[in-house]
Amino acid sequence: MKQLKSWWQSPKQRRQLLTAISGLLILLALAGKYLLNQTNWHNGLMAAAALIAGSDIALRAWYSLRRRHISIELLVTIAAAGALIIGEYWEAAAVTFLFLFGAYLEARTLGQTRRILQGLLELAPTTAIVLRDGRQVEVMPHEVQPGETVLVKPGTKIPVDGDVIDGRSAVDESAITGESIPAEKVAGTAVYAGTVNQAGLLKVKATGVGADTTLARIIRRVEEAQEEKAPTQRFIERFARWYTPFIILLSGAAYLVTRDLELALTLLVIGCPGALVISTPVSIVAGIGRAAKGGILIKGGEYLENAGKISALALDKTGTLTIGQPVVTDVVVLQAAVAAGDNGELSVMEKNEQQALYWAAIAEAGSEHPLAQAIMAAVDADDLIPAADEFETFTGHGVQAVYLGHEIGVGTTGLMADLGIPVPAAAHQALDNLQAEGKTAVIVALDGSVIGVLGIADQLRPTAPEMIRRLQVVGLKKIVMLTGDNARTAQAIAGAAGIQDVRASLLPEDKLKMIRQLQAEGHVVAMVGDGINDAPALATADIGIAMGAAGTDVAIETADIALMTDDLLKIPEALQLSRATLNNIRQNVIIALVTVALLLAGVLLGKVHMAGGMLIHEASVMIVILNGMRLLRT
Amino acid sequence: MKTLLRSQDLSCPSCVAKIENALQGLKGVNDAKVHFNTGRIEVEHDPDTAPTAVLVQTVRETGYEAVVAAF
Repeated sequence: MKQLKSWWQSPKQRRQLLTAISGLLILLALAGKYLLNQTNWHNGLMAAAALIAGSDIALRAWYSLRRRHISIELLVTIAAAGALIIGEYWEAAAVTFLFLFGAYLEARTLGQTRRILQGLLELAPTTAIVLRDGRQVEVMPHEVQPGETVLVKPGTKIPVDGDVIDGRSAVDESAITGESIPAEKVAGTAVYAGTVNQAGLLKVKATGVGADTTLARIIRRVEEAQEEKAPTQRFIERFARWYTPFIILLSGAAYLVTRDLELALTLLVIGCPGALVISTPVSIVAGIGRAAKGGILIKGGEYLENAGKISALALDKTGTLTIGQPVVTDVVVLQAAVAAGDNGELSVMEKNEQQALYWAAIAEAGSEHPLAQAIMAAVDADDLIPAADEFETFTGHGVQAVYLGHEIGVGTTGLMADLGIPVPAAAHQALDNLQAEGKTAVIVALDGSVIGVLGIADQLRPTAPEMIRRLQVVGLKKIVMLTGDNARTAQAIAGAAGIQDVRASLLPEDKLKMIRQLQAEGHVVAMVGDGINDAPALATADIGIAMGAAGTDVAIETADIALMTDDLLKIPEALQLSRATLNNIRQNVIIALVTVALLLAGVLLGKVHMAGGMLIHEASVMIVILNGMRLLRT
Repeated sequence: MKTLLRSQDLSCPSCVAKIENALQGLKGVNDAKVHFNTGRIEVEHDPDTAPTAVLVQTVRETGYEAVVAAF
């Protein structure tokens, strides 16, 4: 009994029960009429079905009316009551049943599009183990203080944003980044709340808790995005606001002119602009939800619609197309050097290369220059790089150092001239070759003679050519690379990526001008960048896309589209999804408008009656929702 | 105080005005906003005159199930 009472009090379950009973009665009535030829039964059962399903509708109509709100339920109640009065029992039963059943199906299906977000909400961790005074204390995740040490056991969710201070593990970050391969975590790497620690024990120093975590920001961002109305939606809602009053007036006018009560009531039945008002939101919720699942955060419906219209894409080079960290790509050995370290089992060739690098690294160890990092990283990890005995920097030219009595010089031809070291023709040849490939070349000299030349370059991300190819498949007409780097380096990178249009040696404000120029040519421009110096260009572009946003809150909050990872292939995916969503919205609006027009015409011409009208109406709503849901599976 | 409710039952945007009207008509409720797309219902209210349970009951009377959510 208690069970029954709680059932009755839940509007959802009560409605399901009423819908089921009403449907059953309709079946019985139909059976009575066609199998047993009992017309009286039929009418009685149909009337009962209409009253049962209609009671819930009438109740809701009454609640709204009490608050001076003319609801769709009121129109349906009037129509059904009118049908019962004029003896159209079947029509009354069908209208009320279909109204309830349709709403049930629609809410259920819409729930699935909203569920992606539900999935994110469920990711939110529920407990955290904190080390306090050397003891493990279990608290709620938001009760952890920033700076405290959190213990994350294998197989559990990481409760806070933070940095690993001890331990090693693989963490499933798919919720945040959309990346299915677990990420390796060691001391010093960042972890995010809501991701799952798969293998080892991690000690994490909390940097963000509760609402101040990447997960919370993503949820907030996705919801705001889904709620923000797209231009199409605003237009449709203006239309819809007038539609219902118009239908009510039309119904009254139709009755006065034709004196046909059934026609007037049928008009009321189709007075809900259901498919129309739902056409845009359903596509947007599905599109933004699907994107979020793939680690793509889109700021809102308006941006989704704009992104669907993009015709030109501007890409920043350093850190976007390239990894953003220079590495040694070439070692040209000109003269075998004295061994400075033990190189074990290497071939003579590799030994000589390692020796040249090793000497260069000793000299560069004291330098802060980015190229120094690249040279040091290129030395075999087993070798410890000793500190030089003497060290001097020649700004813009290179470095000079002394180690165990050996004089080392690493830098340009200018440095060699300063040090009085002759540069052989073979070295000049190597310099020219490397520079022609867009690389930075440095000479390594030992004890007064050149031993080798190193080529250093920022590396193209391996997925860059594939991204460009996919962008072209998506139908992007213009792809431009923007960079502050010199033309030769820029050409080399662009050539490897497959980009024809390159604008090099640009200052940040030049990048902005390039975006404006593309817009002046009539393009809808998207700009992809990461650095702070791209901010003006990102803001000027119609769509600013920020990469690798998982750690940077500013990017999540401000970019029109934020990609959680550095995966370039997410760019064509984001554009393709935007286009698919835009198409989906258009299809839905057309389906809805055509249905409304056909229904109105059908009713006015007397071809569509009450039950049929309601059926077509509810079917069109379902079609629009199902069409929107297709986006979830792309 | 601001309370967040979530409903999975919203099937047609016409319910937005209905639920907003019902909540705003309550004593102690300063503002109510229903987001159809996500099913989020934000209510600004005084918990003494309009406790959370009353908010849920009011939404229920309009015909929709809603639950209180943390965020």
